[in-house]
Amino acid sequence: MNAIEVRELIKDYKEHRAVDGISFSVGEGELFAFLGENGAGKSTTINILCTILQKTGGEVSLMGHRLGEEDDAIRSLIGIVFQNSVLDDKLTVKENIYTRGAYYGLSKKQVDERLKGFRESFELDEIWNRRYENLSGGQRRRVDITRALINDPRILFLDEPTTGLDPKSRRIVWDHIDYLRREKNMTIFLTTHYMEETKDADRVVILDKGKVIASGTPAELKNAHASSRLVWYTKQDGENEELLKGMEHSYDSDHYNVRFKDNITELLYRYRERITDYEVIKGSMDDVFLNLTGREMAEL
Amino acid sequence: MKKFMGLTKRNLLIYFKDKPAIVFSLLTSLIVLVLYLLFLKGTFEASLDSALAEAGELSSLIRSEDISLFVNIILLTGMMGSAMITVPYSCLTTIVKDRENRIDYDISATPVKRWQIILSYYTAAAISACVMTGALLTLGIIILSVNGGLLLGAAELLKAYGIVILGSVSATGIFMTIMIFFKTAQSASAFFGMLSAAAGFVIGAFIPISQFSEGVQTFCNLFPATHVTVAVRNTLMSGVMESFEASIGGMDHGMLSKMLNESFSFHAKMFGNELQIGESVFYVLIISAVSCLIMIYAYSKTYRRK
Repeated sequence: MNAIEVRELIKDYKEHRAVDGISFSVGEGELFAFLGENGAGKSTTINILCTILQKTGGEVSLMGHRLGEEDDAIRSLIGIVFQNSVLDDKLTVKENIYTRGAYYGLSKKQVDERLKGFRESFELDEIWNRRYENLSGGQRRRVDITRALINDPRILFLDEPTTGLDPKSRRIVWDHIDYLRREKNMTIFLTTHYMEETKDADRVVILDKGKVIASGTPAELKNAHASSRLVWYTKQDGENEELLKGMEHSYDSDHYNVRFKDNITELLYRYRERITDYEVIKGSMDDVFLNLTGREMAEL
Repeated sequence: MKKFMGLTKRNLLIYFKDKPAIVFSLLTSLIVLVLYLLFLKGTFEASLDSALAEAGELSSLIRSEDISLFVNIILLTGMMGSAMITVPYSCLTTIVKDRENRIDYDISATPVKRWQIILSYYTAAAISACVMTGALLTLGIIILSVNGGLLLGAAELLKAYGIVILGSVSATGIFMTIMIFFKTAQSASAFFGMLSAAAGFVIGAFIPISQFSEGVQTFCNLFPATHVTVAVRNTLMSGVMESFEASIGGMDHGMLSKMLNESFSFHAKMFGNELQIGESVFYVLIISAVSCLIMIYAYSKTYRRK
């Protein structure tokens, strides 16, 4: 059984179609990455899957429960880390977590039991009695994720969870996400602006203007939509230009940039006497995004 | 039930853990107190003196402690009436803030029912209003008792607390409906500024409503908080009024009570008709019921998934 099944999902806001007949599925325990620029329909899709917004059309099921018919069952099975924090500034971490636990009918004791493992690894003990408004960005994000895990969800939605975090906090967050997948077989549904965060995803779907424009594993997407690059450190002259004839290339101060999609080994072997100082840079998810949308993710 | 309790507790904590917000929600009451200390006490005493003067020489029989108690009760009910308006409003701005900051999304994605979400806002605001207004009443009772006694029995005191609860609950119902119209916390705060400024006048904390024209009196008495203030004033005044009567010994044939009633609005007036306390309470109950129905209708539309 797939954790999430989406078929021909549509969402209209009056005249504007925010989500335009998208379909995808997410297997149980998978890390699924959902990419797209702001306004592409990512958050709208997440909000529909999380029972917050109503779909205009299409079929959606989560862990076998049909959206629109078994919403309470779905709500018990999901956790969400929203793009912006949704916890209360004036309350302490403890108060925020306990009150949210009560939304799921959990007592303080039950919440404590569920958070046993997290409190230490997320370094929550030291901030447990501090007001949420007095926490750093990284600490806040860790509390947000803890809140999303209170009900022991089967599916965790992460809407740009590491945006604005320092590298250490991003590392902690990702270590924890890895732990949840590995140890708890939790399905992770991720949207992110950081392309490198999708490299470990089992599947990536790229959304543009409410439509799916590409999907596959990171490797499949890179092979299909990104070219690798040979950086050859040498002088620019006629002989070298002749060698690269027919290949997409440019010269930049002290090196050639040569783009290629297929195997470069043959070229390197054939000209091993001349091409001695070089490096091969694999196509990235940034390149995939750039090639598909014509825009770089960093610009968005 | 645990889910509803959790939500209500969260809404209560948001209000009670924000000290500046508490002070701000009691701003009108504090202004009433400051103005009282500055000049309102003198104004009220002058009004009382002029009412007593009409009773002729009998006024010399009135005890000065009773005059002081009378004026202090006017102050206390003015502060309570203002708090009954501003505290639930302040507490209910959480609804607008939650919508603006998308915290309502977080709540909506949990198994909590929509009606529980709405009811929790209402309950928390009503409890906050009851607690704060009740605290003012308790503090007032203690201070007045220490300074010569309140001349009231337990039944009157219980009645006063009952009226405070009624006033808090009814004001909360009305403001729940008003909150629907605010999209941002900023607009809700701007309205709060106007409300704070107007509240003291509407309930007659600054100037007795009877000194306004008939039209303005009717307008002020459209608000349940004014009726509640009048009702609680009557209740708390019953002891001191009896003391007045006892001092005069019935020689004025009820003239003094009538004059004080007219000068200090002991009864609400609507369209020229004076309402008895029972009628005022009935009016408050009707308005509360209507506002609850509007609230249920309006929120069932607002909190439906879009």
